[in-house]
Amino acid sequence: MNMKPPEIDWDRIHEIIEKHKGVKWGLIPLLQEVQEHTGYIPPESIELIAEAMNLYPSEVQGVITFYAGFALKPKGKYVLRVCRGTACHVKGGRSVLRLMQKELNLKEGETSSDYQFTLETVACLGACFLAPTMMINRDYFGKLSPTKVSSVLGEYQKK
Amino acid sequence: MDKIVLTIDNKRISCPPGTSILQAATQNDIKIPHLCYHPDLKPFGACRLCLVEDEQSGRLMASCVTPVAPDMTIQTDTPRIISHRRNIVRLMIAEHPESCIVCSKGNRCQLRWVAAQMGIGETNLYAMPNYKPLEQANPFIIRDLSKCILCGKCIRADHELVAVGAIDYNSRGFASRPATVHEQGLEQSNCTFCGTCVSLCPTGALSAKNSRYVGSPAEESFSICGFCGVGCSLAMGQSANKVIDVNPAHLTESVNKATLCVRGHFAHDFLNSRRRIIAPMMPKKGEGETLQMTPVAWDEALDQVAERLRHIRDESGPQSIAFVGSSKCSNEENYLFQKIARVLIGTNNVDNGGYVSGQFLSTILDQKTGGGCRPSPVSDLEKADVIVVLGADPNHSLPVVSYYLKRIAKNGVPLIVVDPRKTELVSFASLWLPVKPQTDLELINALAALLHETNAYDSEFIDHYAEGFSLFTYALSSLDVDKVCRMTGLEMKDLNATTALLEEKRLAFVIGHGILQQRYGTHTLGAILNLSLMTGSLGAEGAGIYILARENNQSGAMDMGTVPNLLPGRMPLAEDSARKTWEKNWGVKISPDPGLNLGRVIKAAESGQIKALYIMGENPLRSLPQPQRVKAALANLDFFVVQDILDSEIVKLADVVLPGAAASEKSGSFTNLEGRIQGFSPVVSPPGKAKPDWEILDLLAKRLGAAEAYGTVEKIREEIRHLVPAYADMNGRGPGWVKTSSPMAVFGAAGAREKISFSPVVSTADEPADSDYPFTAILGSLRYHLGSGTRTSASDRIREFDYGGEVDISVADADKLKLKDGDAVRIETRWGEIKRKIGRSNRIEPGQLFVPLAVNANDAMNLIDLNDLADPNTTGWKTCAAKITKV
Ligand code: SF4
Ligand code: SF4
Ligand code: SF4
Ligand code: FES
Ligand code: FES
Repeated sequence: MNMKPPEIDWDRIHEIIEKHKGVKWGLIPLLQEVQEHTGYIPPESIELIAEAMNLYPSEVQGVITFYAGFALKPKGKYVLRVCRGTACHVKGGRSVLRLMQKELNLKEGETSSDYQFTLETVACLGACFLAPTMMINRDYFGKLSPTKVSSVLGEYQKK
Repeated sequence: MDKIVLTIDNKRISCPPGTSILQAATQNDIKIPHLCYHPDLKPFGACRLCLVEDEQSGRLMASCVTPVAPDMTIQTDTPRIISHRRNIVRLMIAEHPESCIVCSKGNRCQLRWVAAQMGIGETNLYAMPNYKPLEQANPFIIRDLSKCILCGKCIRADHELVAVGAIDYNSRGFASRPATVHEQGLEQSNCTFCGTCVSLCPTGALSAKNSRYVGSPAEESFSICGFCGVGCSLAMGQSANKVIDVNPAHLTESVNKATLCVRGHFAHDFLNSRRRIIAPMMPKKGEGETLQMTPVAWDEALDQVAERLRHIRDESGPQSIAFVGSSKCSNEENYLFQKIARVLIGTNNVDNGGYVSGQFLSTILDQKTGGGCRPSPVSDLEKADVIVVLGADPNHSLPVVSYYLKRIAKNGVPLIVVDPRKTELVSFASLWLPVKPQTDLELINALAALLHETNAYDSEFIDHYAEGFSLFTYALSSLDVDKVCRMTGLEMKDLNATTALLEEKRLAFVIGHGILQQRYGTHTLGAILNLSLMTGSLGAEGAGIYILARENNQSGAMDMGTVPNLLPGRMPLAEDSARKTWEKNWGVKISPDPGLNLGRVIKAAESGQIKALYIMGENPLRSLPQPQRVKAALANLDFFVVQDILDSEIVKLADVVLPGAAASEKSGSFTNLEGRIQGFSPVVSPPGKAKPDWEILDLLAKRLGAAEAYGTVEKIREEIRHLVPAYADMNGRGPGWVKTSSPMAVFGAAGAREKISFSPVVSTADEPADSDYPFTAILGSLRYHLGSGTRTSASDRIREFDYGGEVDISVADADKLKLKDGDAVRIETRWGEIKRKIGRSNRIEPGQLFVPLAVNANDAMNLIDLNDLADPNTTGWKTCAAKITKV
């Protein structure tokens, strides 16, 4: 089993930084590209990014940690986002989350040691009519029941 | 522009557009409570405490971020506002831990004050304290972010005022807090421990760590920082006659405003050091017949000094006695000191510690410009076209100057940094020129030649105000630019890029010890003056030459004549008219014999030519090269007086020890690098039997035959004001300014006609490499210490920080020599050796080492040779050939 986070392709990161270097308002697109490419923003890249964008490293970190879309830790291949919004809560979202935690043996915000899964929660996925809901990477899953959760998870665990 | 008229609390107010409601109210003595607003910071609108009500619309708005509009009617104190404000504060308190009573912020907590004003004790709200671990791994700052109200003052101070960028907001919502990068402790970040954020934080989230004292000062008084040449205004808190807390005094007219540096904020601990000298002492026979330093009465000590000095003068003549005054003591004290030497003893052998910093080099500027080229306010640099920083690392030496430079560069003024090392300023620079050490002269000459070639100079200015231009350009035309590139290590494209930035611009130069202590210092200053003339950069605001004075009163001590070749007011001793003036002033004959400077005094003591030495507030054993040699020379004296505040090696050699006082313990004035004369009064009284230095000198003068004692500082001041025209502005209260009067037309005085002449173009020779000592060691200061570090090393918190002075080596060289961070090495030169730990650094070029001064009793001075810095053939004190071996 792969127990290490995915290798960081530093050449690519340097390329991305070079591309956005000194561009006005270039920080967010730069971070997006790094995040997209590496799956997270390696903390070691903060100083490099800061230097290229002529910002303080603390500022760059501030931006990264402000947006939920950016992460400083490597995430799993599959990021599961369980909805904790009101509609889903009413329809039993809590037990979906609890079940997932049990099945994956992960707490909120954690990533499995083989870097397959990351478990997260969000405030509302905007698909309340399908409550309770979750997302795996870019796919939605609605009207979840314990059996449905187990079968979906099973699918991904096989992948 | 038209003023805006509005009504606040039924008062008609007019103010310029763009003013915030809060500012408009404050200017009119209407107080609106606020926590996140600060006049020096960009408004932020975070705390909402400054709510006011717009009577017409009934809207509530944060007054700190709302600009005034015509005909607004604002109420600041209605029941509705008060109830909102109370709720805001109640919510803050609900999130606050309950450790208010033992909070180290004490009476400086604004949240507690605001809550008390509103009568909020219990909140009746569900307490949800936001626990965060206490961070206090460093000796300066405690971070208890559970008390943070997210006002953002610390972050804005860190970014906008000191431009360090150690902290920024991290995360969102309830978890949001100011954090360093990678959320480490401040000591792991690039924080400089300037403490500016601590002084501004309105709660106990950031507080000064004080190992010796917990609680609030009984009283705060104004003082001036006695460390570097910036001369920051301080608010010193005292309790039971001890200074226990220091903050920026925040006066609108002060140089530092809301900022300070680590020394001003935390290094005043030396005041309470156990090493303070608290009584006059003389060596006396104790048990077993050995001589022991023994406390004596003031009368006995002073009688002894007077009697021995008089005796030696009668036996061996006045030239066998020398005086070394202090770049840390006040103007009044230095004036009195040199007067004793010149009038009562009759010698010009009088110098001060500014010698060590090369302050006397500025004489060349005085000579060439008739004294007109004195520095102006640092804030004028905001108006500069281009700023060129040469051989200066103000981030460490004069931190507040670096704050200015960084802020100004961030606002778009091009900054050129000329330095062998990639100093912290380089990240703010438009251009960094990594010249090889001691080649600045070549660079400046080449820039002049290139500007001449492209005709990008100010010919009109030159016609009006300068002479000797054709001779100068003739000399420039024979300059070999290839040779310049070879010597400086720069490429032609660097030189071209620099000239492009300088073309048709007026320049401001900021000069540090990299120039003043180097081999070709005088010539380099001459070349800088040439370039200033060529570009029309004299006599205008935001242009000219700023000499960074390392020590607080380096500039003032020189103004007071505590140097061998100048009388007070920097009047040259060699000029008959100057001597006549002062002979008349003092009613004595002044010897035309040029006196000895500090370097020469030591050599004369070595040879026995100097028999008696009186040192006030300096420690040449620590500050001069080859300490062993200096020690032997001092031991060779017949009579040696030390007047100082801290016990040291030098005290053990003295025949009489006189305990003086620190700035916070006496009255006086200092002149900072800008020529700002700042008066101060005692915050506490001197410890034990110690006395203000001026008082000691006054008592001694009486014994040496002065007709009358001065009795008060004001009396001395009066005499200076009266006799030294440059100091006519000097007063004991607010700042005054050094006045210049130059016969040079460029400085615009009525009737002034003279032109400034260009200095000869001097070229230097290639330095042959020394294969036994292949590295170039660069000696320099770091922010935790000042000068040779006597006072800073006696400061508890600086000691606790335990900064080891790692020698920087380039990563390439470290790899070659297989050196890891922290490896112990021996650095050797032809003169001596030291042991240090190594730090791998990408701020230094291969082939160079950076050796920080002041640590380990300033042992780095063992590496250089005791040559006279003022000698035209000096090899300088800034660099030396060295080798490095792992131990
Ligand atoms: S630490 Fe202090 S200054 Fe900084 S945001 Fe918190 S309360 Fe404000
Ligand atoms: S102490 Fe100074 S450098 Fe450090 S975080 Fe505070 S403001 Fe920034
Ligand atoms: S050492 Fe210099 S910069 Fe620091 S507080 Fe004192 S005067 Fe200001
Ligand atoms: S509440 Fe779950 S999708 Fe909106
Ligand atoms: S002072 Fe105006 S919002 Fe804080």
